[in-house]
Amino acid sequence: MTATRQAVVGVTPVAVPPPRRPTRTRFRRIRQDGGLGVIAAVGLGLYLVFIVVPVLLSLRSSFTDQNPLKAQSNFVGLNNYREMVHDSELHATVGYTLLLAVGVTVAANVLGIAFAVLLNRTSLSYRTLRTIAFLPQVISGVIVGFVWKTILTQNGLLNNVLVHIGVVGQPIDWLGTPHLAMLSVGIVVSWVLSGFTTVVYLAALQHIPPELYDASSIDGASAGQQFRMITLRMVAPATTISVTISLITVLKLYDIITVLTSGGPANATESTAQYIVKLAFTSDRFGYASAVAMALLLLSAVIALSVTGLLRRREVGL
Amino acid sequence: MYRKSIAAAAAAGLLLLVAACTSTPSGGSAGQVTLTYMTFNSPSLTPTFWKDSIAVAEKSVAGLTIKQVVTPNTDRDTYAKQLEASGQFPDLLQSITPSQYTGAGLLQPYDQSWINANFLLPQGNAIKGKVYIPPTNSQIIPLVFYNKSLFARAGIQPPKTWSDFLADCAALKAAGITPIELGGNDPFAAGIPLTGALSADVLGRHPNWLRDRYANKVKFGDTDVVAAAQKVRTLVTKGYFEDGALNVSYANSITNFNAGKAAMYPMGSWYLGSVPKDQWSNIGVFPWPTDDGSLVIPFAVGGSMAISAKAPNIAAATKFAQAWSLAPANLKALIEGDGAFPMLKGKTLADYHVTVSPVFTTSYAYVTDKNTKVSAIGWATSDDAMPGALNNDFYAAAQALFNTSDVQGQMNKLDQAWSTATQ
Repeated sequence: MTATRQAVVGVTPVAVPPPRRPTRTRFRRIRQDGGLGVIAAVGLGLYLVFIVVPVLLSLRSSFTDQNPLKAQSNFVGLNNYREMVHDSELHATVGYTLLLAVGVTVAANVLGIAFAVLLNRTSLSYRTLRTIAFLPQVISGVIVGFVWKTILTQNGLLNNVLVHIGVVGQPIDWLGTPHLAMLSVGIVVSWVLSGFTTVVYLAALQHIPPELYDASSIDGASAGQQFRMITLRMVAPATTISVTISLITVLKLYDIITVLTSGGPANATESTAQYIVKLAFTSDRFGYASAVAMALLLLSAVIALSVTGLLRRREVGL
Repeated sequence: MYRKSIAAAAAAGLLLLVAACTSTPSGGSAGQVTLTYMTFNSPSLTPTFWKDSIAVAEKSVAGLTIKQVVTPNTDRDTYAKQLEASGQFPDLLQSITPSQYTGAGLLQPYDQSWINANFLLPQGNAIKGKVYIPPTNSQIIPLVFYNKSLFARAGIQPPKTWSDFLADCAALKAAGITPIELGGNDPFAAGIPLTGALSADVLGRHPNWLRDRYANKVKFGDTDVVAAAQKVRTLVTKGYFEDGALNVSYANSITNFNAGKAAMYPMGSWYLGSVPKDQWSNIGVFPWPTDDGSLVIPFAVGGSMAISAKAPNIAAATKFAQAWSLAPANLKALIEGDGAFPMLKGKTLADYHVTVSPVFTTSYAYVTDKNTKVSAIGWATSDDAMPGALNNDFYAAAQALFNTSDVQGQMNKLDQAWSTATQ
């Protein structure tokens, strides 16, 4: 094996460096790449087993009259999907879920950016406050539901405080009237999601070069102008992520509502996810529940993709 | 080599995951059997109660090990169905609604001769003549509990008729006393007054109403049912329930009533387990009143556990269930803690060595006396059980009566829900 090779054209032999012997570092890299491949394969396998396969099974089930208590089921074609058109309870739950998704997404993101701006400091006390701000996101939804139920019931903390300081004469029926219960659920879910949005916006704020603020100050920009022209524009990618994830989270909301209101009063706060569980395991209509789940999946995907596309275009425009 | 070992580890991990997600047969080695038993916790049925009661019954079957599965809330049926859907249907299931499973052949009926030999009402919760849960105890749903001192303060007596009841409510309200306590934030509790009104007025006159509803001979939208439901609406519009009744949790409703914050409390007889000792002489009881004052007792025969037809060892499961169902200590705990009325043959309250309140004794007399007993609508587990999803719709209708005057519309909705549930 020669260490040189003749140039194709020309007479002067060109010295070509010999192929490098794999070094220890390269071996390690190959090993790492191989390892990463295996890890990716495992991840993909788990994704297939736990996400793709169940979705496909649900899709298949949505064309049947499957009952969780019976071994046999029959193919019913598009009957389940046709039934959804006339299902008034489904329409009500979808309407409420969408309303909640929009309201909570707006509220959680406004709160998130406000908290992030307030907490965008480096001292220990602010770092502690940041941890506190993120707490709602790490607490289990069931616990959040129980805690807020204690706060919002007739003799709860909120009513006691409001009556005691004379803001209201009588306790407010936070969870007992349909409209107030819907609002209460919205407030609780916004509080939970604000923990997540705060962290997302905080991370984005910390990547804004301070020179931008310095330059704008020299140009005489007010704090409001700086927020509008610099902060909001620079956190646009974070807004895309935060809004999309907030929407998806609310569209599949189940635990908090179940504990807080059980979907009541009179189904006023029933989410589509709760309705799906009720159909599957109380009404024993697994097939129809699967069809509704497929529709919810599609709806979530359409909304998430549309919103992401819209916000991405906005990012480019800014 | 490195990649191979990672791949092997990953494959092993996947296998472990798959193994963890796959149900395994509960049988063991020869002579050994493991059975799963679904239980639920409540303020009176505590984890200690279950642990102790299981340990005692376990000893009656050689080689048996019971693996307890605790439901995440008191909705046993929904959880049992989730377990069935994931291939983990328990071998023994405490206090479920058997009618929801018998159609699919999931439950094993008990030997009728054993049932006949041991229980006062052998057919009390039978479905098409077969018993799937030993009828160990019964409940009245609802009774109306009242605070004697508040009644005395308002100068009233326990009512006999519906008009007496309304007059009492009016007198209490005039005296500045909240007439009725209700923990309506929990849907089942919101449904209690509607259960009382429909059971007393509709089933009181037409005991086979639920079976006729299955046969489509009667409807919720019929005049008599709407009139009964209208009574609940009347209590709402006249302001007889406590303020924000749907914003009060079931737990808080018990605390409020025990603290004397309201004069009456319509609730299932399980409330008897929550009467504080210092109130034993102050709490009285009367049945939900009817128009003509006739006594109608909305009754439900409950019981202990159902046995899965798929249990790996039905003989062992049956032996365990029989031992648990007849254990006096278990019934003692249920009587004292859950206000259960014992239904074992040849035994009196004294045989259980229980200490019960006077109001328990008065309530139990409604069970042992000869009177008109009807199925408590929404609570019966016999042929009179409502189809699965109807209970939720019933509770939702009850909550709706607090916010709408369209009583007929709510009853019509129940008919629609019934059609869907039974199609």
